[in-house]
Amino acid sequence: MSHPPARRTAPIIGLVIGLTLGLVYTWVIAPVENINTYPALLRADYHQDWVRLAALSYVADGNLGRARARLDGLKHEDVASAIQTLIEEYAAAGRPADTLRSLTTLAEALDVHTSAMLVYLHTPTSPAPADASAPSPTPTPAPTHTSTPYTLSVLATPTRTPHPPTPTPPPLPPFQVAQQEQICQSGQTPHIEVVVLDEHGAGMAGVEVWLMWPGEADRAITGLKPQSGAGYADFNAERGMPGSVNYTLGVGELGMPLVTDLRITPCPSQKGEEPLLASWRIVLEHRPPETE
Amino acid sequence: MQAAVAVAVGLALGFAVGWWLWPVQYTNTAPAVLRQDYRDDYIVMVATAYEVERDLEQARERLKLLNPEEPAVSVTELAERLIEADGSSEDIARLARLAWALGATAPTLIPYLEGPP
Repeated sequence: MSHPPARRTAPIIGLVIGLTLGLVYTWVIAPVENINTYPALLRADYHQDWVRLAALSYVADGNLGRARARLDGLKHEDVASAIQTLIEEYAAAGRPADTLRSLTTLAEALDVHTSAMLVYLHTPTSPAPADASAPSPTPTPAPTHTSTPYTLSVLATPTRTPHPPTPTPPPLPPFQVAQQEQICQSGQTPHIEVVVLDEHGAGMAGVEVWLMWPGEADRAITGLKPQSGAGYADFNAERGMPGSVNYTLGVGELGMPLVTDLRITPCPSQKGEEPLLASWRIVLEHRPPETE
Repeated sequence: MQAAVAVAVGLALGFAVGWWLWPVQYTNTAPAVLRQDYRDDYIVMVATAYEVERDLEQARERLKLLNPEEPAVSVTELAERLIEADGSSEDIARLARLAWALGATAPTLIPYLEGPP
């Protein structure tokens, strides 16, 4: 009395065929139309450009709320990556400090950090007064972090307060030369690398370094080539005949000289090797202010 | 007969699943398929970024993603819509300046040009 197998299986097979045809039609032949999407669905390069446009718009209009709304819904790492790239690209291209300051302000507001932006986040602070005021009546607890006494004022808001002459002797320079060596690597162009370290040996970004030679000077800020380290800066030293230019390396707004009589001289070469000009690598170490 | 009904039911199920329950999910889309408000914002951002970057070719390339044939038309159209909707005069001015730079300004945008670049 049972149904023949064909009669039972035919509806199942029909259902499967119908379902398959329906899915092929809706997924392949006539899928849902691709309209009304949103920025998070953009292809990676468009996505990055969206973030870039939002950041540049913030530079122009300064509207943080609008920038946040435009970046809302995007993954933080994507936003961070795009803004970091933009800041580093702009810093390397020497874009105006105001533009970079706006970008870094946005980055900071979005909790994005890159070493290149440290330069523009420094706020000007006048050097700590030599405690000329009355001493604190109560012993102050040790600070929880040591703030660098070194601050940038060139890129910061140009409020410059005159420093009245003080009878106290000039303080020791905040940096000392920890290492100075010549570099001879094939294919290199003569240059002077500077690495600025803090008292713990970590690279210090945002330090202004000067290279001076007769009648001219060049300035660099550490940390603008993050791939080389936060405390790194370098100068091209292709000037004049080998050994003819006498460079002085200084640090700080006034270019306080730390290394003098730097000359680009030939590397010792083996027979048959092409003569090569040596570069310099100078490591400066931050000297914490002396406490009595 | 039963088989035909089953095929019809299967098709209906397939349509429901493919168009409604589990439609094709798009990623890697282009700005051209953004929702209208995002597209408008994209155009405003292109015009605003142009003020910072001053790179007309890059602005044109970005706008071509919306309208490959006449990239500037998107700018003028949006500016005119914003004027009608009493939109931000700063945005309109930026759009007007970009449109002017792209050689596609409209008479209604002239008052927003404070001095062509």
